[in-house]
Amino acid sequence: MNYPVWDVPILGSGLVIALIAIFHVFISHFAVGGGFYLPMTESLALRKGRNDWLAELKKHSKFFLVLTGVFGAVTGVGIWFAIGNANPEATSTLIHFWVFAWGIEWVVFLVELSALAAYFYLWGRVSNPLHIRLGWLYAIAAWLSLFLINGILTFMLTPGQAWLNAAGTGNETFSFWAAFFNPTFWPSLIVRTLICLTQAGVFALVTASRIDGQRQPELKTEMTEWARRWLLPSFLLLPIALFWYLAEVPAAQRALLDLGNSTVGQGLFTLLSRLKLVFLISSAAVVAAVYLFTSKRNAVGFGLGSALGVAAMAYVSIGSMEMLREMLRKPYVVGQHMFSNGVRKSEVARMNRDGYLTNAAWVRPEERARWTSPDHGQNSAVPDLSRGELMFRGQCMACHTLDGYRGMRKLLLGRDHKGIANLIAVLHTYSDDSPYRPFMPPLVGTTAEVEALTDFLAAQVSGTNSVPNKP
Amino acid sequence: MLQTVYRWIDERLEISPIIDHALKKRVPDHKHSAWYYWGGICLFFFMVQVVTGILLMIYYRPGPDAYDSVRQITYEIRFGWLIRSVHAWSANLMIGAVFVHMFSVFFMKAYRNPREFGWWSGLALLALCMVFGFSGYLLPMDELAFFATRVGLAIPDALPGMSQLISALLRGGPEVSSATLQRFFALHVVVLPAIFVPLLGFHLWLVQKHGNALPPSEEAKPAAERRSIPFFPNFAMRDMAVWLMALNLLALLVALFPLQLDVAADALKPAPVGIHPEWYFMSQFEALKLLGHVIPGTLGEFVGLGVFGVGMGMWAAIPLFDSRVTTSLRARLTTWFGLLFLAALILLTIIGYIEVL
Amino acid sequence: MSDCPQEPEPNSSISRRAFLRAGAAAAGACYAAALGYPVYEYLATAAHKAEAEGAQKEVVLNDIDKLPIPSALMFKFGGRPALLIRHGESSWTALSAVCTHLGCTVQFSPEKNQIFCACHGGIYDPATGANVSGPPPKPLSPYRVVVDQGKAVISRA
Repeated sequence: MNYPVWDVPILGSGLVIALIAIFHVFISHFAVGGGFYLPMTESLALRKGRNDWLAELKKHSKFFLVLTGVFGAVTGVGIWFAIGNANPEATSTLIHFWVFAWGIEWVVFLVELSALAAYFYLWGRVSNPLHIRLGWLYAIAAWLSLFLINGILTFMLTPGQAWLNAAGTGNETFSFWAAFFNPTFWPSLIVRTLICLTQAGVFALVTASRIDGQRQPELKTEMTEWARRWLLPSFLLLPIALFWYLAEVPAAQRALLDLGNSTVGQGLFTLLSRLKLVFLISSAAVVAAVYLFTSKRNAVGFGLGSALGVAAMAYVSIGSMEMLREMLRKPYVVGQHMFSNGVRKSEVARMNRDGYLTNAAWVRPEERARWTSPDHGQNSAVPDLSRGELMFRGQCMACHTLDGYRGMRKLLLGRDHKGIANLIAVLHTYSDDSPYRPFMPPLVGTTAEVEALTDFLAAQVSGTNSVPNKP
Repeated sequence: MLQTVYRWIDERLEISPIIDHALKKRVPDHKHSAWYYWGGICLFFFMVQVVTGILLMIYYRPGPDAYDSVRQITYEIRFGWLIRSVHAWSANLMIGAVFVHMFSVFFMKAYRNPREFGWWSGLALLALCMVFGFSGYLLPMDELAFFATRVGLAIPDALPGMSQLISALLRGGPEVSSATLQRFFALHVVVLPAIFVPLLGFHLWLVQKHGNALPPSEEAKPAAERRSIPFFPNFAMRDMAVWLMALNLLALLVALFPLQLDVAADALKPAPVGIHPEWYFMSQFEALKLLGHVIPGTLGEFVGLGVFGVGMGMWAAIPLFDSRVTTSLRARLTTWFGLLFLAALILLTIIGYIEVL
Repeated sequence: MSDCPQEPEPNSSISRRAFLRAGAAAAGACYAAALGYPVYEYLATAAHKAEAEGAQKEVVLNDIDKLPIPSALMFKFGGRPALLIRHGESSWTALSAVCTHLGCTVQFSPEKNQIFCACHGGIYDPATGANVSGPPPKPLSPYRVVVDQGKAVISRA
């Protein structure tokens, strides 16, 4: 607890990140996919001499400019803001270690935005080949930015043994490239590139559906066919690429995917198995629906409603996969190194011995004095809820809230003080067969701290402070 | 090879006229065409119900073990939770789709001559769906199921004379118990399907016989301006795509909100707060409650059920009242009546939910 | 689209069509398999269970006189976890270790002399397996124990 804790009631700080991130994921991948779509469609239109396509494209590029330049950038900064608040320890690690990568990313981002602006404002003012080259410049810069961030994101799931060996020694920088091109880097890069193509395809499909098939049957058929070429291969390959990605994930993490095959028990982290099913079924449904809706017979009558239906399924597919990928990291935020609540794996033994709150920067001196006074715990009949609350804030609130998302009052409902103590003991012991070990970090702290957390949680569940005296 | 088999079958069963009919069939294509998907969506969810219902029966044990068997299905048997959640969600989606289908038929005036029997068989199917829902709700025999059924049966129970009848025939005693469960089980898996399936067959046969109805705005156009597409394969392909979307929606709901199981039913416990009927009974439930405030006692119940009876009768008699193709005062009155009915349904449901939440 | 210059040769058009057909058939088969897999697993659960249970009639545990009092030994019976609990010098209980609530594995806590389930806080009596508090709806099912010279033979009750 070297940083203040960000208390977001009901939602929880983790869900705030997820809400911003899922929005950002859609926009950023769309921005990259659109980067390829614009120059490729422009070339095709010029080759076919289709001025009607070009007019449409110019409108699209404005939409791209606004969407990526404003919403993409704002949500990107929003993620920084949210993760810095929600998980400062992990954010600090990411900034310190990856400072060089972030520097490159900043340059690439600048090129990306400038190229897109130039592409839009120079429509019809420069020669066609130059304009197309500007479009490609934008596409490549946007994809490079994905390339860089992909390295950092996959590092969080699988940092690789070289980095893990170096972590904490001060020599981490020597493992920079090993950490960047970590085991999941390449499969993830392919998954992400495919997502970009699907996003461009969805956009192309929705646009094509709005062309009046009675007035311009030929244009409509061609545009639908063009959209189909983006969507079908990408959604067919996506599940395959995801399986490759999962094959590179450590087996312990992969096991999370099967926790929910036989049960939907609450608090048992079963959602991942269900997300897996949703991802598979929606990817397949997109392929089949696109095939059926946009076949030559039906292309002319392909309407906006159907296109939006396909788009919704595509978003469900991508969204569930992103959620799955994020949750797969549990119980770590940086794989095998730092737990999701910011406690480093290497610190567990020390914190169990010396205490979690002992060196916390945000504990008032008088509080600490009270805890360490010799009579505490023996004579005091009133349990020390403030100490328990600090434990809760520091170690639980990264994922749990009291009443909302993964709310403790609901999860602990029906347990008495003894039952809660049992649960806390299981989390503290962290034995190999603990049912929580696959997805929850160990609870660290001295016996007194662990008891304080038990008292605090018991008081929250019963709604009163009347907990039994300690033995 | 395939052709030989086909000819062999055709000689005996004479299926080629049916196939010819299917190949020649056309579906009108206009801006309201999207409503033609809804009957198919209902059918899709019904098929899901049949498949998952049979699968559930493989592990479900009616009688004193009922709760425990549902507990095993939900928490022990691999993908048991999936089958159960799909069955429950698909039931809700089916009833929702039937409502949409009914109102789209109503506002497109697809009940007019010669389609009156389509309207009536459809209404009967909706009523059966709701009895399906009510009887299926009790089967897990958890606290929620128990109290919801108790509250549901209490409505007709309050009428003089009815109590005896319901007790003797439906509930099998003065209180919801395992005797009730056994009866509801028989109703849910034998009696209702035995009535539902032939009726559904009749309904579908009528659709083949009369074809898709045109909305009045299309009827008004000269025949040359009306467009249509072949049913097979064009419309069938779109229909399949829509079914995939329905399946996808179902999968999403099941993944995000799988069904949990409440604690086992205990008749001696006080009813938990906020017990309310399923959403498709909410408007009726709320209407009776509101009438009960205005006219208290059994008289209120009587008036309430009387109003219902008359309302339902009028709703069913619509094809007789508005039967002509031309636009007339009757046609406009009918549309207004439908809007009023829809608004009342939605409003009462919302009020009902505000009150219990 | 008669003037389309990239119109492929009729020959290659057929092979392309065949390829697309095969692809569609393969994708359809994958789709059916994906839907069929959960159904198969669902139906097969009963067989798996019976197999696991029927395979084993009894379990023999050695050196159990070295167990401290009170303590418990975790073992597998028919593929499912079970507990052998030592209460006193010659007082033994064997119970299934599968929580009757949601099927988590329960554990014995010697300090508190209780069996508890970490998943949702269910508590059982270690002597009888009776469900004492929390969500479990049923007691843990017991096994028969016969102890002879440091060897325990556990069989179905």
